[in-house]
Amino acid sequence: MSCDEHHCVTCGDEAVALRVNEVRADGTALCEGVEVMTELVSPVRQGDLLLVHAGVALTRAPQ
Amino acid sequence: MKYVDEFRDAELGRALSTRIVAAVEPGRHYKIMEVCGGHTHTIYKYGVDDLLPENVELVHGPGCPVCVIPMGRVDDGIAVARRSEVIFTCFGDMMRVPGGEGTLLDAKAGGADVRMVYSPLDALRLARENPERDVVFFAVGFETTAPSTALTLMRAKAEGIENFFVYCNHVTIVPPLRALLESPDLRLDGFVGPGHVSTVVGARPFEFVPADYGKPVVISGFEPLDLLQSVHMVLRQLAEGRCEVENQYTRVVPYDGNPRALEVLADVFELRPHFEWRGLGFISHSGLKLRDAYADLDAELRYAVPGVRVADPKACQCGEVLKGVIKPWECKVFGTACTPERPIGTCMVSSEGACAAYYNYGRFARERAVV
Repeated sequence: MSCDEHHCVTCGDEAVALRVNEVRADGTALCEGVEVMTELVSPVRQGDLLLVHAGVALTRAPQ
Repeated sequence: MKYVDEFRDAELGRALSTRIVAAVEPGRHYKIMEVCGGHTHTIYKYGVDDLLPENVELVHGPGCPVCVIPMGRVDDGIAVARRSEVIFTCFGDMMRVPGGEGTLLDAKAGGADVRMVYSPLDALRLARENPERDVVFFAVGFETTAPSTALTLMRAKAEGIENFFVYCNHVTIVPPLRALLESPDLRLDGFVGPGHVSTVVGARPFEFVPADYGKPVVISGFEPLDLLQSVHMVLRQLAEGRCEVENQYTRVVPYDGNPRALEVLADVFELRPHFEWRGLGFISHSGLKLRDAYADLDAELRYAVPGVRVADPKACQCGEVLKGVIKPWECKVFGTACTPERPIGTCMVSSEGACAAYYNYGRFARERAVV
């Protein structure tokens, strides 16, 4: 989940479904290697599936 | 993968295509605008328009976030990036958007410390790691991206970080839609509404389109079958004489959006009186700026950016492409002087831009049609 020379998921207003691997005390979660702010969908738990854009979870993705 | 494979199923696609053919009135030409750049990308990547009857035309709207940034704002960003104390950060596509005097990539080649980030949170981390430098984040995007910037600013404030600044170019989706609907040179029958913007704002803000302008709107997902179904829903509304906002992307978009995200946006940003859009000119109350409470993190206030205004290159017709007045290949420089490798206009930069999407995926189909 990253920008490359052909495609930028952030500029494309694209959101990607990512699974929560670890919930941190500061309100972020580690989701498949990406640090994600979860304030907009909290509380989140390990295993939740989030729709992530530009490092923020916008909503929960359908399981 | 669930919610992916079934939305790319060829058999279902053909069935939807048949239903679309049945929904159109012979002899009538339909123009439906997809607003979001992500939709444009899907349409060309999967050849969605090849499954539509000839009298259903998809028009590509101003929903690619980097495509609508005017050249002057890029030049202002480059002016900040060239300062020796600054680490300038931006999203990938923004690096290649041409200003009047080159791109941020050119500035980087010239010695400016310009770095690509995936999210503003990465820029904030750079600020923590480099307390002796100013770290500036070039914020672009619609309501999908603005919450990420807002939450990062709140974190910077809470942590007392004093060397993180935002050069804010966030925009909102409703004012350009209204501007397009007021445009005398554009006749549209309906809209495929943006999916991920609507996870934040919901479907309700688009109710003015049917109410004030008599055009249907269908909020759509991003897989090929999402788009085919959304086109069918627009056509069905037209056939049945209905005109309303419908939500095809119910698996993700609540009708009222994400209230917490809207609160965060309202806390951090306020509307600018005017903001310039590439190809569309100045649109009232369409751009966001930082509220006074965040003024100390506002890059425009810290560096007194030049406020450059640069006219688009004469050869470039991005404005007409963004308004759907012409197709990408009808631009005089499409695929010749203007390519994804050396873009003249912003629509050729991002893969979500109509020109780049067509250049990468669609030009071969057109060549076949010409033959």
